[in-house]
Amino acid sequence: MATPNPFPAGISKEQAFSMAQTEMEYRVELFNKLAQTCFSKCVDKRYKEAELNMGDNSCIDRCVSKYWQVNGMVGQLLSAGKPPM
Amino acid sequence: MFNDSSAEPAAGSSGSNENVTKIEPIRMPTIEEMRAQEVWNNCAVKSVASGVMGGGLGLMMGLFMGALDNPIMHDTMTGRQQFVYTAKQMGQRSWSSCKTFAVMGLVYSAAECIVEKARAKHDIINTAVAGCVTGGTMSARGGPKAACMGCVGFATFSVLIEKFFDRHT
Repeated sequence: MATPNPFPAGISKEQAFSMAQTEMEYRVELFNKLAQTCFSKCVDKRYKEAELNMGDNSCIDRCVSKYWQVNGMVGQLLSAGKPPM
Repeated sequence: MFNDSSAEPAAGSSGSNENVTKIEPIRMPTIEEMRAQEVWNNCAVKSVASGVMGGGLGLMMGLFMGALDNPIMHDTMTGRQQFVYTAKQMGQRSWSSCKTFAVMGLVYSAAECIVEKARAKHDIINTAVAGCVTGGTMSARGGPKAACMGCVGFATFSVLIEKFFDRHT
């Protein structure tokens, strides 16, 4: 969804604000879920040192990339297709 | 990063001048900090640094061993000649040892870095594979059988050393 210009025609200030709030909540939820998923997949639970290993780093890179791609694809499908549920 | 309420405001981060802000928001690392960390994630930089450290270690060991090994011959040379001769032997010995250890460190570090990046996991298998590659390349001159023995031997050695250093878990 393209970022809207400030106050396009027909949208009041309250509507723009609530849209921005919804978008912000969505983004925060996305980030939290992404961090939680990739952390539980990639980082070994027996902590041996404070730093992230190189293996952890590349695992996190791949996990975030996959998550973002799938998120984009699902968003496109949901917005374009609107399948009858 | 968790900040308790008695943390001092960092330079330039929170910004309000009137009241002293005690609680700071979570600070994401800056681009400079991220770049500084990314330098050590690079396989080339890491392996060159390991090679240099291995070279230093080899120099020390070669000097020590070279000093121990040379017999002192009293009857054929004067004191000063003996000293020069011993110094040359020590220098040769330590230089060859330095090269050996530098190559060993470089190959081991490069192999471990590449394997760990490819597998995306931090395991003991990485050290075993890296040890095998290092042992194999170092004994490759003796033929395939010597390479196999070197591979197995060095892999076992590096796994044992890694387990020794990880004993506190």
